[in-house]
Amino acid sequence: MIPTAPRRLVALLAGAVALTAADAASAYTVYVSNERGNSITVIDSTTLEAKQTVKIGRRPRGITMSPDGKVLFLCASDDHAVLAIDPTTLKVMRKLKSGADPELFALHPSGNPLYIANEDDNQVTVLDVEQNKVVAQVPVGTEPEGMAVSPDGATLVATSETTSMAHFIDTKTNKIFANVLVDARPRFAEFSKDGKRLWVSAEVGGTVSVIDPETRKIIHKVTFQIPGVSKEAIQPVGVRLTKDGKTAFVALGPANRVAVVNAETFEVQKYLLVGQRVWQLAFTPDEKLLFTTNGNSNDVSVIDVQDLKVVKSIKVGGAPWGVVVSPQ
Amino acid sequence: MIRSLAAASAALAAAGLLMASPLAAQPKSDPDWPCPQRKTPEIDLAQVWSGPDPASAGKWTDDQDAAGLAVKLASRRTPAKEFGPLLDGFVKEAGAEADKGLLRVMAGVYEIINDQRSRLIHGIERYARGQQRLADRIREEGDALSKAQTSITAPETAESRKLDEQLNWDTRIFDERAKSLIYVCETPVLLEQRAFDIGQQIQARLKAKGG
Repeated sequence: MIPTAPRRLVALLAGAVALTAADAASAYTVYVSNERGNSITVIDSTTLEAKQTVKIGRRPRGITMSPDGKVLFLCASDDHAVLAIDPTTLKVMRKLKSGADPELFALHPSGNPLYIANEDDNQVTVLDVEQNKVVAQVPVGTEPEGMAVSPDGATLVATSETTSMAHFIDTKTNKIFANVLVDARPRFAEFSKDGKRLWVSAEVGGTVSVIDPETRKIIHKVTFQIPGVSKEAIQPVGVRLTKDGKTAFVALGPANRVAVVNAETFEVQKYLLVGQRVWQLAFTPDEKLLFTTNGNSNDVSVIDVQDLKVVKSIKVGGAPWGVVVSPQ
Repeated sequence: MIRSLAAASAALAAAGLLMASPLAAQPKSDPDWPCPQRKTPEIDLAQVWSGPDPASAGKWTDDQDAAGLAVKLASRRTPAKEFGPLLDGFVKEAGAEADKGLLRVMAGVYEIINDQRSRLIHGIERYARGQQRLADRIREEGDALSKAQTSITAPETAESRKLDEQLNWDTRIFDERAKSLIYVCETPVLLEQRAFDIGQQIQARLKAKGG
């Protein structure tokens, strides 16, 4: 670990804008998968500078980390594998079985198994990451993508883009027990920390459905209007909720904005202009900063969560797709 | 001959693959649109700009300096690293009137780039229709060749040789064009990137921030 004083100095040299945001935050490491760059970019959450970009895997998309921060998992879609990467050396430790064309995945809160969406095979692969063994393959709707595990680990939700459904899967039996129809092309699912709400974004429908996982009824559909931006350009993808369940951030694709939504009243409070074609989002564990991947402007925007301001744009590799922040 | 038939069907299959590329973020609605990127005929101003309404500063075409800079910034011959210095020079020159001038520059850049982009989109559609016609012809030529040459072992005739050459030639053109389509499809995106980049740089230089 770098001692505090030199780290501050680095932040100071990095620029005044970075300083205000970075000074208050602890040091985390941010990992960004670059779909076209076939690489991962590593960003320091203190200096808000890209430390390095390393070539890894073909067409990397979904990216996540083990709860202890010791393993970085990456969907290498064109390698038809999930790569287990050492976050310090950025070397591939193991190539895991993933089924064909893995796009996005969700890790069980305990750290195992990993639930992988196989976009081309219309199924979810359940992988034991320790034994590198496929435990089950669950057939779902056409083009599964969004994946979320309930905080208690009992329920897995997979969204299928073409079928426009959120499939509820029992993680004990690995069988679908309910389906909820949402708007066109659901891309992402996110549970609230207390497990009482499930947010599902619909890219073509332009909405986010808020579902009660208990009754599996849609409680509310969040809609978005941005003056001067056509309806077609508003394409919700990534969703992140604060731990207190009060605020949701929704990435709106080619509208180039992130919507800040009051998660209790479902009103949109603000639209933040970020980079072009914003898809995925990740908080730092202290929720002071939110990172967004902007696929067409090849950068990551940093949002100050308290002030609701974009404090920096960081150039990364080609077509950034996913982002994850280390737990420590 | 068999080889060229196989190559032709491979080329057609490749074209099909290209259309169904997993990079596609949207289901395709327009059969004439060959790109994996969704067809967006125009860039909305608010996609590249969150500042005050540029129209509030009057017609950009009436301001020679602003129009000149807009043309220069929008031109693909001007590298992105020159945006900053060019804008700084303009702000210095314009003095107290800089904000209004910058808004007119933005209005100009937006209009010019959108216009270039629409022409490109029409061009891509023409290109796609040309490919479709060529694909139909390759299919017909393949059928004609199969008829002229009834079995693999049948001797080559003057007619089948001529058909084979034509098929070979068309398949090659089709392949080349299918390959360049990947780059052609990127050009509207490059223009969007340019408009966004300039928009952000202009906004950063406004004294009165809006939006």
